[in-house]
Amino acid sequence: MTNISSSAVVAEAGGPLVPEGLPTEPQKAKPAWRSLNFGPRMWISLGIIGFVAALAFIGPLFYPFGPEEKVGSLYDQPTWMNTPPTFEHILGTENFGYDVLAVLMASARNSIIIGLLAGTIAVVIGVAIGVIAGYVGGWVEELLMGFTNIVLAIPSIVILILISISLQSTGVPFLKGVVGLALVIGVTSWPWTARAVRAQASSVATREHIDVAKLSGARTPSIMVRDVLPYLASYAVMAWVLQLASAILAESTLSMLGLGPAGANSLGKQLFWALAFQAVATGAWWAFLPPTIVLTMISFGLLYLQSSLDEVFNPRLRRGKKKNLAKAAARREETARKLAENPPVEVNA
Amino acid sequence: MTSILMRATNLTAVYAADSGQDVPAVDNVTLEVPEGQIVGLAGESGCGKTTMGNALAMIANPPLYVVAGTMEIDDEVIDLSTLARGSNEAHRPYRGATVSLLPQGAMNAVSPTLKVKNLVIDVMRAHKRDTTVAEAMDRATDRLKMLEMPTRVLDSYAHQLSGGMKQRMVTVVSTLLNPKLLIADEPTSALDVSSQKALIEMLLAMVEKKIMRGVIFITHDLPVLSMVTDRLAIMYAGKIVENGPTEELVNNARHPYTSALLSSVLDPTEETRTKHVLGIPGSPPNLANPPSGCRFHPRCQFAMDVCKTQEPKFLNEHNHEVACWWANDHAYETVPMEVYKA
Amino acid sequence: MGLRRYLANKTVWYLGALVVAVVLNFVLPRLIPGNPVDVLVSKMGQGGLSSEAQQRTYEAFMREFGLDKPIWDQFVLYITGVFHGNFGASFSFYPTPVSSLIAQSVPYTLALQLPAIVLGWIIGNLLGAIAAYKGGSWDKSVFTTALLFNSTPYYCLSIILLYVFGVVLGWFPVGGAYSLGSSPEWSWAFFSDAITYWYLPFASLVLINIGGQAVGMRSMAIYELGSDYVNYSRSLGIGDRKMTGYIFRNAMLPQITGLALSIGTMVGGALITELVFSYPGMGSLLFGAISSNDYPVIQAVTLIITVAVLVANYMVEILYGFIDPRIRASKSGEK
Repeated sequence: MTNISSSAVVAEAGGPLVPEGLPTEPQKAKPAWRSLNFGPRMWISLGIIGFVAALAFIGPLFYPFGPEEKVGSLYDQPTWMNTPPTFEHILGTENFGYDVLAVLMASARNSIIIGLLAGTIAVVIGVAIGVIAGYVGGWVEELLMGFTNIVLAIPSIVILILISISLQSTGVPFLKGVVGLALVIGVTSWPWTARAVRAQASSVATREHIDVAKLSGARTPSIMVRDVLPYLASYAVMAWVLQLASAILAESTLSMLGLGPAGANSLGKQLFWALAFQAVATGAWWAFLPPTIVLTMISFGLLYLQSSLDEVFNPRLRRGKKKNLAKAAARREETARKLAENPPVEVNA
Repeated sequence: MTSILMRATNLTAVYAADSGQDVPAVDNVTLEVPEGQIVGLAGESGCGKTTMGNALAMIANPPLYVVAGTMEIDDEVIDLSTLARGSNEAHRPYRGATVSLLPQGAMNAVSPTLKVKNLVIDVMRAHKRDTTVAEAMDRATDRLKMLEMPTRVLDSYAHQLSGGMKQRMVTVVSTLLNPKLLIADEPTSALDVSSQKALIEMLLAMVEKKIMRGVIFITHDLPVLSMVTDRLAIMYAGKIVENGPTEELVNNARHPYTSALLSSVLDPTEETRTKHVLGIPGSPPNLANPPSGCRFHPRCQFAMDVCKTQEPKFLNEHNHEVACWWANDHAYETVPMEVYKA
Repeated sequence: MGLRRYLANKTVWYLGALVVAVVLNFVLPRLIPGNPVDVLVSKMGQGGLSSEAQQRTYEAFMREFGLDKPIWDQFVLYITGVFHGNFGASFSFYPTPVSSLIAQSVPYTLALQLPAIVLGWIIGNLLGAIAAYKGGSWDKSVFTTALLFNSTPYYCLSIILLYVFGVVLGWFPVGGAYSLGSSPEWSWAFFSDAITYWYLPFASLVLINIGGQAVGMRSMAIYELGSDYVNYSRSLGIGDRKMTGYIFRNAMLPQITGLALSIGTMVGGALITELVFSYPGMGSLLFGAISSNDYPVIQAVTLIITVAVLVANYMVEILYGFIDPRIRASKSGEK
């Protein structure tokens, strides 16, 4: 039996167990939205997209020239390259004598509209099919996924070309133009989204809250919409961004082949005319560089946005902000040093 | 008096939370493992036992940082801190060979594209570069035979094994290099009862055959603890509150938390019908802002004024430690838990 | 699922996809109300043929292309023709058979696409893996560059490369596949000439492929870094290098599947690249055919593209079955 009664007093004399160095008050809690981790990536991508959108939708309100106004002749160089330089037509004229900047704004607008339409259609179809296949399972899933896989395997460009050729000579006017093209692209590009969504829906379907919903008598469509869909929100958003990008690119690919929207400008169509009139070979860079750059900006902006969203929704991909890490590491070293200098008293009778 | 295999002193480990603050998950803890014994580490979820296991096994990864702590094992003193740049490389030779971790959830512990035997070869080569394939295979097959496991496990991929078999296989791999100390982190949690029994028997056999010289058994499964462990350490809110021989803790708990925890498990006996189980009111504290003084005081029915202001010192009663002011005042007394008779 | 079942499964539905593709290839262009021969003959009429002569030509063409028969017969003709490699005669280059037009253009397309896909995959994955492993600023710069390349459409990069290196700097020729005056032959002189025309189009394809693979591989590798098996191997004292080996072996698997999925899109975009460089591959052939409504050529090219993509996909999927141990060595289920 050892002496015990005075151990508390003895320990007290040796100093407090916990050195003052360790933080005992919490720092001010940061507002919730800060923790959503909107990194610089997101701001850059939103900035790029914003710029292009402004160019497409706000620009025409201020720019004096229209996209079908003949203001010059074939490939007039930009006026600031003239002597004396003026800023009347900063991007010169294209092959029909129209102001390039005006055409660029109209093209960007159409390309974006087609992208939005087609992308949204594709996401709606893809999510619908994915959720039904993933949640219902069984032979419905097999059927839908088999169908999806076949559509996926056949290169979409081929389908698009074949359908567009048909549409070219159709009598129905709106099918040839922007809307028709958007419809066609939307209806052929959903398989990727459907696959991704199905995988998620499958795993959500096994969660407990679904059982609860079923037990409380909710019917299948209601369960799918109210209990499964919210969990797929992050995927749906990312898929939408990707579909947007791919739709815009698909449209410009078709346009470059000569299958673009009839009677409307688009970025791809600008490139088509540039190639047709040998803009590259003759060095008329103002005719093809602007649409190329804008197209790349849209594509890059959207893909960059998607990858930053991926980081927001998928914490495992986060690699941490440098600034905070350095500060935190310094703080820890401080703490460690303090602990080493004042080793807490051990009590062992 | 048995000799001490391992003694970890002043271990502090923090998590870097998203808010930028460091949360101490293990707060200045000292733990000993006597030679040849199994020490249980128990507590509610979030009390810091897994973190402690990671810190002791020297595998703490950011956002977990071991800020301070030393381990004395067999005359060697190892600095457990992971703040310095070279600490990862410095700790590597000890991992698996001196201290080994048996992970929670062996389900995905092996890479899906790696055959078990290749993992074995890689583990042995990591510590002794010139190990030949034959040597590695010999060691593995010997160990498997010793523990009565089929040797075909070596030729399999992880997905070809059942859950229980996987856990036991991982146990074999974790102890291949005869680590002095094995830290088993919730090894039985994901298993069915018969697999649990097989695993526990295997662990006991291994200790008996001196493959390991000591085990820290982390779990929240209290019945398993009382079956397996020789000593028991109870953790609460990042600190150890009581530490002593299992039998004494079970029958003669000295800390109110220990008593409440252990009595929350019902024995299916006649007496139980007459007893009223007292839950522990409240919930574990936020480690970012723990209560002042004794961390348990908000939920403790024996709390006194001193408990709110001062952190209790360890009281050592013949190999049984407790950190509690009430225990200080009532030497050697078991914590009385009220029982209502029907 | 066992290997055999996997192989059988894949074979069956790739055959199914093939059937669907062939049918679609036949049906879709025929959704047009109207007769392509009309267009053709009216074009000829602009050249001054008498209406009588036009009528005779019209009937001759109708017979020639089997357009006077009911649609089911046309389909049968089509299928049998395809199996014999006979795609009929081109409208625009009548009477040149479509198959010889294709035979001339396929080598150029293959010369561009095959190395671009293979090299792009290998280099891209290596780059992405290294970036993920090293982390830090190296990772950031590689990722942003790769993403930039990946998001640039093939033809946009083509145009930029052509302008900068071909027109402005004059280091590379501006179009075509070989110099005027030389003709294709299996000679060293021809190759060394033709390759200068090949660099820019190849570069625009391969750079983007590298970018795409690097981005994908990096994401997969970073994801794997957080896996249980990485933590476990680390706890056993296994070194960083070995662990990265594990990670890449695992991250590689979805990359192979990804390759299968992306071949279709790659081929599409790459065809347009040919247009930019006036490179006489299938893309240019297709473009010309579309502008002149040359339906036999359009149909044949789309069919070949589809079949090639399906075959490539199929081979990649089969390869995957042999590489992924979860498929190759299936569950035996012992306790």
